[in-house]
Amino acid sequence: MGTNYFNTLSLREQLEQLGKCRFMHLDEFTDGVDALKGKKMVVIGCGAQGLNQGLNLRDSGLDVSYALRAEAISEKRQSWKNATDNGFTVGTYEDLIPTADVVLNLTPDKQHTAVVNAVMPMMKKGSCLSYSHGFNIVEEGMQVREDITVIMVAPKCPGSEVRAEYVRGFGVPTLIAVHENNDPNGEGLALAKAYAVGTGGHKAGVLMSSFIAEVKSDLMGEQTILCGMLQTGSLLCFDKMIEEGIDAGYAAKLIQFGWETVTEALKYGGVTNMMDRLSNPAKIRAFELAEEMKDIMRPLYHKHQDDIMTGHFSATMMADWANDDKELLGWRADTAETAFEKTDAGDMEISEQEYFDNGILMVAMVKAGVELAFETMTDAGIIADSAYYESLHETPLIANTIARKKLYEMNATISDTAEYGCYLYNHACVPLLQDFMKPLKSDVIGKGLQLNDTSVDNARLIEVNEAIRSHPVEAIGAELRGHMADMKRIV
Amino acid sequence: MTSPVEITLDSVSVDFDGRFSLTEIDWRIAPQQHWLIAGPNGAGKSALAAVLAGAGEITAGELSGLPANVGLVSYEAQAALIAEELKKDDADILDVISEGTSVQELIKRDTTDATLAAELVEQFGLTPLLNRAFRKLSTGETRKVMLIRALASEPSLLVLDEPFDGLDVKTHAMLDKHLHQVAATTPIVMVLNRVGERPSFITHVAWVEAGRIAQSAACADAASMDELVQLFHIKHSQVALPDPDPIDRLPVLDASQPLVTLTDVSIKYSDNVVFENLSWQINPAEHWQLTGPNGSGKTCLLSLITGDHPQCYVNNIKVFGYQRGNGESIWEIKRFIGYVSTQLQWEYRVSTALRNVIISGFHDSIGLYAKPSDVQKAIADQWLDVLGMSERANESFTQCSYGDKRLLLIARAMVKHPPLLILDEPCLGLDDMNRELVLALIEKICASGKTTVLYVNHHAEDKVPGIDKHLALGQ
Repeated sequence: MGTNYFNTLSLREQLEQLGKCRFMHLDEFTDGVDALKGKKMVVIGCGAQGLNQGLNLRDSGLDVSYALRAEAISEKRQSWKNATDNGFTVGTYEDLIPTADVVLNLTPDKQHTAVVNAVMPMMKKGSCLSYSHGFNIVEEGMQVREDITVIMVAPKCPGSEVRAEYVRGFGVPTLIAVHENNDPNGEGLALAKAYAVGTGGHKAGVLMSSFIAEVKSDLMGEQTILCGMLQTGSLLCFDKMIEEGIDAGYAAKLIQFGWETVTEALKYGGVTNMMDRLSNPAKIRAFELAEEMKDIMRPLYHKHQDDIMTGHFSATMMADWANDDKELLGWRADTAETAFEKTDAGDMEISEQEYFDNGILMVAMVKAGVELAFETMTDAGIIADSAYYESLHETPLIANTIARKKLYEMNATISDTAEYGCYLYNHACVPLLQDFMKPLKSDVIGKGLQLNDTSVDNARLIEVNEAIRSHPVEAIGAELRGHMADMKRIV
Repeated sequence: MTSPVEITLDSVSVDFDGRFSLTEIDWRIAPQQHWLIAGPNGAGKSALAAVLAGAGEITAGELSGLPANVGLVSYEAQAALIAEELKKDDADILDVISEGTSVQELIKRDTTDATLAAELVEQFGLTPLLNRAFRKLSTGETRKVMLIRALASEPSLLVLDEPFDGLDVKTHAMLDKHLHQVAATTPIVMVLNRVGERPSFITHVAWVEAGRIAQSAACADAASMDELVQLFHIKHSQVALPDPDPIDRLPVLDASQPLVTLTDVSIKYSDNVVFENLSWQINPAEHWQLTGPNGSGKTCLLSLITGDHPQCYVNNIKVFGYQRGNGESIWEIKRFIGYVSTQLQWEYRVSTALRNVIISGFHDSIGLYAKPSDVQKAIADQWLDVLGMSERANESFTQCSYGDKRLLLIARAMVKHPPLLILDEPCLGLDDMNRELVLALIEKICASGKTTVLYVNHHAEDKVPGIDKHLALGQ
């Protein structure tokens, strides 16, 4: 195992790297894919990201092929089928890597060290190695040969969306970065930009970031608000509803589809819009619950961010990798045994509005989690744009997975890294919220307030609205959603 | 056999999520009756049929006698099933590619009469596809699976919304025969845009207009039937094709060169071959008709030309002067093509205004991501006028009926007067009137001399004058 790269830097350098983030303008992409034209791009990893990015790059006029392990080819494994059915050239590492101008490493984090160690000696002098996640470079301290350019291009959506948006003539928001230690010819940025154009990302907005900012914010987002908070929230809300005598099928359904429904409102208009979907009394109640939870959970968010910054988190996780994922697999099995996970959603109809009205506590949890993750990231020196993408922007994407097959689906589809962090968070957060949960009743989760009189105090409503709207995540969110909407305006 | 079905709708009004409503429907389906629901596109034919399968919210009146087990085949039900399967595909925040449910699993899951299901699978020729993922099926094959689901679940009432659409001639005849047997024991309510295609067991026709049953007649009553038939035939005599965008930046093609040259092309998957060693040359102003049974690869072949099929990169294909796989982008190809197909209609799930759907044809995009020029807006408005949708320019596409969507996508395909216009079963889902409109438009665009037309259809009566070349697949 290498040394944690981030920890080798001085504080000044660390802050500089964490603070790298700039929204790029469309006119910075006028060169299109020129920097990659005629170059040989070889993809390693033919999963959803690998396959769909490859399809887009090829349709943009670039030369794409897939390097697979010899066994995958001889046994005609799924990755071989994916690539050949789609008309790509497939070959072994030995066949293809020595001819590659750009090697796209699109395998899971856990395989990065092995993959990069295997391909690096075969790579051409002066070629380029691209990642879509910086874990290997930043946390594992992978040292890449000096003559090789190292870049990152990370579409902020699942692989199937990356393809679907391209086919429509659009793209998905994308983050790009150049590893400054490995930019011998100063061509890293040009290559990353051309790659982003090739996948269609430039049309939806590109953030110029750094490997470090990407890793430290991505890890933070996924283990706290994105996966951790939704898992903890699901378990606590379900148990509370059962305790309150609510039908188990209804409770399971309210949670399974509730996250997706309330975060859909978040996607369109931020926390403000999500809160505006509640009645005035419910909004004030949700606000107060969220404030209380934020105070309780703040130290936990700080601890997660601190452990990510120091490298403690990644060291712990890599120790589990070395131990055959014992902890991860155990926690995964435990999750499958929870009451929420084992109860099927009922077949009653729940209207879109009812998910808000009867899920006040869930709305409060999303608000608390998004704001805390965003605050903690920006306090740690991560720029607001990055913090927004890694918290609020991705929450609806994860919520969609729960709507499909509950926590099992979420944990099966997120990366192992996210899953490991999610369980860590959940184990700390469930006991932490115990006392907070005790006095709560079905009015905030399960049945709704059921008030005859929905009047509220004007002054209090103004105060609450003001607090919701003036949170910094709302300002940057409005701006970034505005960029997207400008481009997608007519839709 | 259960007791005979008798359904009564007494002044029933139905709301469909505020998007559409049916008003004061009085209708009685007596035992031994089989009804056809007919009417113009967007009138509410499918909505009325769907009410019998429990859709919509009844806001007034009374509906009685509806059996619990209704077998339903419709575009909406098909779309819902496809959407459900697509969701499975989305399950990859990081890295899983899911194939979804196989045909076999789906049929087993959704039918109760396994013997009949097996028989129908055989008759429909689906046996070789049993292990294929449902969402990998062609349009016609998907429809067949929907039919088997409905027929083999021992329904007390069959509601068939356009059951013949997308079926090839042979399957059409087979289904017709099977339905005649079913009709002896089970009441059938059918929606058909092509009234002339109604099977002989149909006893009554309900004519729907603007969300109401405007008229109904017993087929045995010749006088009222004549009156109804007249409603269908209003002629499109003076259709004019709107002009293309005068600021046309498309490179000029060499008129002496073929538009498309396919040399020995094949589409093969690791587990099956769709077709192989096919050669085809399309010269400018040579209009082609393409036919073939369901699953013979018509749509696949066309997608090799449009570049939507990933195997276009491993075949010898030259289009518009580009030898494919030499660094051209897909958008450089698509700018020469106008395209409409059922596949495109599934994919066009974007809630944009009707005018923008037509303008998106200038950009070959699904949804509109560029600012349209005033000229483009004006052209789109002319098209809306041709389609009779001028008043609806700013309505949302997602809320249109299937037939209206189809008309808009045809306009989108034609709007730039592309050098190559590919119409893959364009008339699916269109009523008699709109079908004649579309056929007239195709005839005009063929005659303009600038556009070469490639036309796929199953219906012999939809022949367009001017299309005289013919390629038959799977023979």
